[in-house]
Amino acid sequence: MSGKLGAVLAVMALLAPAGAALAAEPGDYNIGFVTENTGPIAFAGLSYWHGAQLAAEEISASGYIGKGAKLGLVDKESGSDPARAIQALRGVIADRTVIATSCCILSPVAGSLKPIAISSKIPLVIFGATAPGLPQAPFVQSMTILPGPKDVATAKRAAEVTKPKTAAYFVAADNDAFKARMAAAQRELEAMGVKTAAVVSVLSADTDFTAAATQAMGVKPDMVLVYATQTPAVGIVTALRARDFGGTIVGNDVLSPDPVFKKLGPASKDVMFPISFSASMVKSDAGKAFVAAYRKSFNADPDIYSAQGYAVAYFIAQGLKSIPGKPTREGLAEALSKITVLEHDVYGGERIVEGQAETADTLIVSWSPEGKLAPWPSAQ
Amino acid sequence: MQLFIEQLINGCALGSLYAMFAVGFGLVFATLGILNAAHGTYASWAAIAALYATEQMGLPFPLALLAGVIAGGVLALVVDQIGFQPLRGRGAGMMGALITSIAFWIILDSLAGLATGQQSLSFPPGTTPSRMLHLGPILLPGIQLVSIGAMLLVTLGMHMLMRHTRFGSAMRAVGWNGTAAALGGVNPRMVVVATAFLAGATSGLAGVLAGVATQNVSFALGQGLMLKGFAAVVVGGYDDVRGAAVAGVSLGVLEVMSAQYLSSSLRDGITYVLLLGFLLLRPRGLFGRAAFVRA
Repeated sequence: MSGKLGAVLAVMALLAPAGAALAAEPGDYNIGFVTENTGPIAFAGLSYWHGAQLAAEEISASGYIGKGAKLGLVDKESGSDPARAIQALRGVIADRTVIATSCCILSPVAGSLKPIAISSKIPLVIFGATAPGLPQAPFVQSMTILPGPKDVATAKRAAEVTKPKTAAYFVAADNDAFKARMAAAQRELEAMGVKTAAVVSVLSADTDFTAAATQAMGVKPDMVLVYATQTPAVGIVTALRARDFGGTIVGNDVLSPDPVFKKLGPASKDVMFPISFSASMVKSDAGKAFVAAYRKSFNADPDIYSAQGYAVAYFIAQGLKSIPGKPTREGLAEALSKITVLEHDVYGGERIVEGQAETADTLIVSWSPEGKLAPWPSAQ
Repeated sequence: MQLFIEQLINGCALGSLYAMFAVGFGLVFATLGILNAAHGTYASWAAIAALYATEQMGLPFPLALLAGVIAGGVLALVVDQIGFQPLRGRGAGMMGALITSIAFWIILDSLAGLATGQQSLSFPPGTTPSRMLHLGPILLPGIQLVSIGAMLLVTLGMHMLMRHTRFGSAMRAVGWNGTAAALGGVNPRMVVVATAFLAGATSGLAGVLAGVATQNVSFALGQGLMLKGFAAVVVGGYDDVRGAAVAGVSLGVLEVMSAQYLSSSLRDGITYVLLLGFLLLRPRGLFGRAAFVRA
């Protein structure tokens, strides 16, 4: 009997959420947050930051990490510049109130900060960089829902539904992550018999896409797939539609924030893309609460970026909560590396595998005429 | 052939934006002796002002365009009088002006980012010339015609002003030697003020039309024009608006054609190899005079 009880207790200890019955010592714990609220991708940077701010406020108010224990954010701006990001990270590491750090939308910037965090033995939780392989236990984790696998699933689904014979690809030639995503989708479509009509390279800093659209339309593709950052992606879609391209356009997650719909207008019709989070399609209770709180705080719907910023703060809080007594940076890193399920999950079904956040489903959407994200193709 | 013609028109339209920007940029360099790194921000702010006039004030496009052009001119004037005029008084030289202009560039860029909420905005549908013209099998966006027409008007008008009016002579005289021009009866301060305004307004026009053509109104708009505009001025020559215009259009055509027929990923590389070649073989530019030396 006693042996059986012992086994049950051992299993319970293993299965219990990390530190479910534990709590951090009262005190103020700070996350050093390297922001990207200015610069070329500040539109996304602000969303990540707002999501993290909201989560930190909620965590402190609810006593999630322990009675009298508060979570704060110490922000340093990088402007998406690697040199400034390194300075910013070193600045927050020097602050002894900082227990963990978070950074980066751009993968090269994240790659620059990763060795600094490891050598300084401080947890670094990535909020936006999409290159695979960035996490490194125990110090580097990523709350970015990687878009690559979802891109492939979306391209495949679009091809199954629309049955194109040829496809043209737009790719940001100066972005390795997008190049890899395009190559993966291209392989999948070619395996399905969809011939590559053209690959049109653009640059992330480009603003005029009329010529690029003309080039793609010159090969008369049935389908166009766009793998570029937000400004080029929006410009490409606009230029294609302005030139009366009536075929299928497959975009990516950068087309999902609300301002993109306002910018695209009627050109957004029949443009599909995968997303990990949508305020209008959220199902989990935690997700619905997040949407309501975000609207109240920022008078706007949260997007995929704010969801990831929000997840970063809760992830770190969950790690802190699991450490009895006074946490250390190294202790927190170890605790974070053991988390496999996020307690506060806005996506529904989020898992963490070897330090990388994942969601099981691929949500393929398009903009409705009213500017709401709706499932594709049922919205057609 | 259809593709070639469409891309040629695309290149001319894109190059027209570079050319208009280059005309203003070259004017400031030739007349005021300033290599103005902040010049791109005038284009960004002009586009923001035109967008504001359209969205918030409900002005029709021609008036919004005018508002943007005036905003670009006024901003250039304000920057000149606050930043560059004190340096002229002290004879600080080109390096001092360049450093000052970099400071203004950073400040105005940051403010433009704040003004647009760090977003890339666009003119609301239906408020700009967005019609697609069908000339037989050739597709021609209406805004491209507007850009090419505006470039021709600006180039011709500026050339006439510089070469066939007393005021143009005064501008060239101040550009050559302000003190000598003053002794000759020219009011250098007035010339400086008018030149700064004209240069800002020209860049503002390029900025608004670029904002409409690319559906991108953001702080980054001027940065793209700045690099290509500078290249156009180098290739065309600093002291002749015709050179800047020809070089700007040529750069646009070269950029588009090299992307279409050579390599889209090497597009900018090809453009700048040409620029380097020009600097080596003809450093004074297409229309620049061998004897031209900045005062």
